[in-house]
Amino acid sequence: MSDSAPLTTDHPGQVASATPPAPGRSSRLSDRGLAVAFTSPALLLLLAMSVFPLLWALYLSFTDYSATRGGTAQFLWFENYTAILTSPQVHQRALTTLIYVAGAVTLQTVLGFTIAYLISRRTHGRGLLTTLFLVPMMLSPVVVGLFWRFMLDAQFGVINSMLGSLGLGQVEWLTRQRTALISLILVDTWQWTPFIMLIALAGLTAVPKYLYEAAAIDRASQWFQFRTITLPLVWPLLLIAVLFRAIEAFRLFDLVYILTSGGPGVSTETLSFHVYKVAFLGFNTGTASAYGILMVLVVIVLTQLYLRYLNKLKED
Amino acid sequence: MRYPKRTGRLSVPGRKARLATAAMLAATTLAACGGQDGSAPKAPATIPELTKDPLTLSFIWFDWPPAHALEAFANAEYAKLRPNVTIKVKTVPNANWHDAMFTQFAAHKTDFDIPILDSQHIGEAVTNGNILDITDFVKKNIDVKAYNPYLLAAYGQFPQAETGKRDENASLYGLPLLGDTWTMIYRKDLIGDKPPQTWDEMISVAEKCQADNPGVSGLAFHQANGSDAAAVTYNTVNGVYGGNLWDPKTRKIDGVLNDAAGQEAMDVLVNKMKPLTAKGSGNWFIDEVNAAVAQGKACIAFNWIAASGGLLDPKQSTLGTTREQILDKLGFATLPAQKTNLVPLGGMGMHVSAYSPEANQAEALNFMKWFEQGDIQKKWAAAGGVPSRTDALESPEFLDAAPFNQVYTDSVPRMRDMWNVPEYARLVDIENTNVNAALNGAKAPKAALDDIAKQQQAVLNAGSGKGGGGL
Repeated sequence: MSDSAPLTTDHPGQVASATPPAPGRSSRLSDRGLAVAFTSPALLLLLAMSVFPLLWALYLSFTDYSATRGGTAQFLWFENYTAILTSPQVHQRALTTLIYVAGAVTLQTVLGFTIAYLISRRTHGRGLLTTLFLVPMMLSPVVVGLFWRFMLDAQFGVINSMLGSLGLGQVEWLTRQRTALISLILVDTWQWTPFIMLIALAGLTAVPKYLYEAAAIDRASQWFQFRTITLPLVWPLLLIAVLFRAIEAFRLFDLVYILTSGGPGVSTETLSFHVYKVAFLGFNTGTASAYGILMVLVVIVLTQLYLRYLNKLKED
Repeated sequence: MRYPKRTGRLSVPGRKARLATAAMLAATTLAACGGQDGSAPKAPATIPELTKDPLTLSFIWFDWPPAHALEAFANAEYAKLRPNVTIKVKTVPNANWHDAMFTQFAAHKTDFDIPILDSQHIGEAVTNGNILDITDFVKKNIDVKAYNPYLLAAYGQFPQAETGKRDENASLYGLPLLGDTWTMIYRKDLIGDKPPQTWDEMISVAEKCQADNPGVSGLAFHQANGSDAAAVTYNTVNGVYGGNLWDPKTRKIDGVLNDAAGQEAMDVLVNKMKPLTAKGSGNWFIDEVNAAVAQGKACIAFNWIAASGGLLDPKQSTLGTTREQILDKLGFATLPAQKTNLVPLGGMGMHVSAYSPEANQAEALNFMKWFEQGDIQKKWAAAGGVPSRTDALESPEFLDAAPFNQVYTDSVPRMRDMWNVPEYARLVDIENTNVNAALNGAKAPKAALDDIAKQQQAVLNAGSGKGGGGL
């Protein structure tokens, strides 16, 4: 039997020392340099695609620049802003947008929370139901707009056909002042109620069960449990969902473009749709930039007020 | 601590980076804002030497049958002359057509060589320097006497020609590609073979037809507030009842459009014609009107000739299983007259993008010269196009190609266009939205017409030189 090879050397340190030491980090590639190298592509992209356009739009908003007509941009200072804020046309679009945002978000919140509450009480098929309810949210707004346009067509649409089979009269969904705005709200609600439902469901699932058990021991009614446990705990999360939806609804463009083109007349023209017309029909770039900046400011101010309320709610 | 908090002045690299960023922003801003002189560059009188390399000549148009017919026709016929050239007609939805072209013009870079502009877009494109001035090219290469002068003017001249005429001293920026006007489509089986001759007669015939045929509406026409739908409808009735859209010499609209004739036209449209249309038709445009005719739901309809081909397709119609059966029921006629016999000018011209590479511009000019020849125009007519040369319009190739082609030939001397001023897009939007509002009960007819006149006048008064305003 031959001698077995030693498992260890007498001087293990010598083996290690045979490998050359790792080269020292280049003085030019410090940790900070490395961090800059890794973050700069993203920062440059952000600068080029977000910061620069915003700053440029801000600059143009004080001028009479037109993207197509060219020539030197003359400084008008706050003339564009004054014109927008005092324009009856803008006031009309602001009112339309306000009615739309209030109507759509309220409806979506009530429906979304109700559906989430009902789903949360089920023990079987919750996952499948949630997935099915989420389908509308996954569709493109343009696709949604197009098929709802066909469905709501007064002559050939399936909705009026169904109403007819129930003995009800035809409704001019998209060509009458009141029904056109209601149609927009309904279609937006169909698509975005699942978003509120999803957030509300997350909040409802997170409510600790022992609270309900304790309440049940105290023989609290279902309504009392809902009012004093469920709603206060879900409310802050629901408000965040409402904030997101309100911002989205405020800048609504695609559904209006596809479903009504702002009509009849201009009765469903939202602020975003009006900005589009100012920017691309007349190419009044200066005015459109000021209009866009004002819309951003409105969203920022409302969001700040909202977040403060949310913080106060948390502190309480 | 490994990363001590920085205090005081920035390090030199940090300051440099910030200075570089600021410089980049400033430079980009200057580059983005400057560099336009606003005058249309001139095309050479003689076509430059053409490339022998493979080349794609791109058009831009909206998506409708003539766009597809043009691509097929040009690739089949032009390739015989220039085998290295491929023709591509890029299409966008009708509602995006203006924006798709002019946003690229604004960027000074186009992915098309030949923009197919509506006749009213010419002013905007010319004043912004987006298309080539082809006056010298036309003088040397095109037989201008072969056309009705107004057709040549409508698709190329700026400043705009007087209705029915052409100013031979004015510059030309385009050549006719596709002629078009409205045709009256009527149900021969419901109202008889003879079409109504006057507008008033047409309304009373439609009224009787609607009463006699439950489920069939008396009229179908464009009412939508997109593109130029409702505006063309009002302008047509305005012309027929002796109204004017504006006074081009004084640039006056307020007081001209809404004069007594204009008010009468609006009254006829809203109070006499609209009640004869189908419920919910307030957003109808080309496709919806065609669908109503094809499904037998309208006694009399108005539509663009170039979009009427599908009506004869048995696969799309409930009026018959063959083309002949459909034609037994459908008739096509020129528009009825009333105080005048004016009809709307439709169709589009070909132009050359000022931002195309030189080789493509040369090829575009060569294509235009080829396309405007008499025999090619007749072939275009046989392929489903509407030519503009008089010899082609009167040729059997055109007149026998479709039952509505005679309507076009007869309508040419009766045509009137809208304004082709740089402010066109805003003018037509004002008119569209207000006429659409009147048709759908959102505004009283008189108020709508007065609003159109007032708002359009404000746009013209503001001029086109500035990018402020526009609300």
